[in-house]
Amino acid sequence: MEGWALSGAVSRATRRDLSSDAERADFYDAAMRVLPAALDHLDRKPLRELDASETRLMNLMLSLCHVALAVEMQRDDEAQHAQRRQYLRITRASSDCPC
Amino acid sequence: MHSHSGTKAFVADDAALFGTDPVPAAPYHQPEYFALEREAIFRRTWLQIGHIAELAEPGSFIVRPIEVANASILIVHGPDGKIRAFHNVCTHRGTELVAEQGGKRSSFSCPYHMWTFGYDGRLRSAPDFERFYIDKSRCDLVQVAVEACAGLIFVNLDHSPAQSLREFLGPIARQLESLPVACATTFSEYVYEIDANWKLTYDNFQENYHLRFIHPRSGEAATGPENPFGYPVKFGFVGPHRTQTIWSNPAAAPKPLQGFAFGKLARFAMAEGFGNPAQNKEYFAIFPNFFLLGSATQPFSHVVMPISASRSRGVVRLYWGSADDTATRRFAREYAMATVRDIHAEDRAVIEAGQRGLSSGALRHIHFQSQEVLCRHLYHTVNEMVQSYIAGGGAPGQAA
Repeated sequence: MEGWALSGAVSRATRRDLSSDAERADFYDAAMRVLPAALDHLDRKPLRELDASETRLMNLMLSLCHVALAVEMQRDDEAQHAQRRQYLRITRASSDCPC
Repeated sequence: MHSHSGTKAFVADDAALFGTDPVPAAPYHQPEYFALEREAIFRRTWLQIGHIAELAEPGSFIVRPIEVANASILIVHGPDGKIRAFHNVCTHRGTELVAEQGGKRSSFSCPYHMWTFGYDGRLRSAPDFERFYIDKSRCDLVQVAVEACAGLIFVNLDHSPAQSLREFLGPIARQLESLPVACATTFSEYVYEIDANWKLTYDNFQENYHLRFIHPRSGEAATGPENPFGYPVKFGFVGPHRTQTIWSNPAAAPKPLQGFAFGKLARFAMAEGFGNPAQNKEYFAIFPNFFLLGSATQPFSHVVMPISASRSRGVVRLYWGSADDTATRRFAREYAMATVRDIHAEDRAVIEAGQRGLSSGALRHIHFQSQEVLCRHLYHTVNEMVQSYIAGGGAPGQAA
């Protein structure tokens, strides 16, 4: 899951845009396997108290939000869809706000 | 001005009440018609422009452009607790006063000659003012009418609005106050610009006829064998505003992460008291250019701000009742934002294609079927106001 633990919703959405089909498929498979356990673990403490490795895990799971839309929903249309998404600029995400 | 004779909900077969004739194409591309809309509508109607969550602390301010009116609006939360709005224009020689989009300040100084205004718009100080030929008390910032409902901030550029915001919203005001947006303290947002008329853009989001063609994958749960076009369960008309009750396919199987994330969002919504399934399906089209979905799992708003006859800006927000506190809440909200953005990304190109065709002037008329009745209602409402403005002696660029 190297290269997917990115801080900021814009960075995560852009990573999806720039990734290959194979990269997304590998990341999706790996992240889906650990998602429930990862969130259970992270939910044990408030977000503001997460340490560096927990923050990395959080960011990894947040990248799954974007990648899953490509893998589950867009499938073969993902390359064309990425062109269309570039016009919708994320200007604020709750994940980027202080908690 | 429109009256609210009560919400009338009915199936699309009754939509002929608004007529069945073809609709003129010119209002969707002609600069002359756009100039009339500016005067007849956008300079005298309540416009949704922000949310109280952006002005949580006394001293906070936001600045918002309203290009259709060539205006920039400064909205300030004063230390006295009052929200005020002003034209973002120094009263000395008209310089734009504040360049930032938002922040926190106790006063606003013009960069040109340092005229300084307070939170209440009063001119507090101006260098060498003794050399002017006017009293300081006559140099306050120009105030703009501002009111809020359900946390949503609206402004009206009319010096003396014909209706209060609540009168304008009618019975919809109470409905909005029961939605998650009324309790929001934060939001996610994305913005797009589009080479298309504001009505053409807005219409795309108030008809479902296109769903199966433009959203064949992301819209899977919105169509089904019993409703192949995903038409709404019902429409409602409240003065100049519209509502629709969204239909969704109960047999649709969610994708794995889709099911996981929306399951979490639904549980959060229930815990916050927003689990009413009927409310979750209500989609409000507030005249002239504002949408709000009642859903607590994807509580998004959408403003289509006109820029020119063939250019607009969309601002989409998902309103949340609290800052992210747990990992699961943060995860589910990120998924909700990415999902709506994916769907809206699919609409933009086809709307622009529509504008290219209309702007060519090839068509004199366009056609709305019964399930596009909300588009027809918007056209009629706009045109009624434009014709009323002309009948009152108004012309483009001139106050009637």
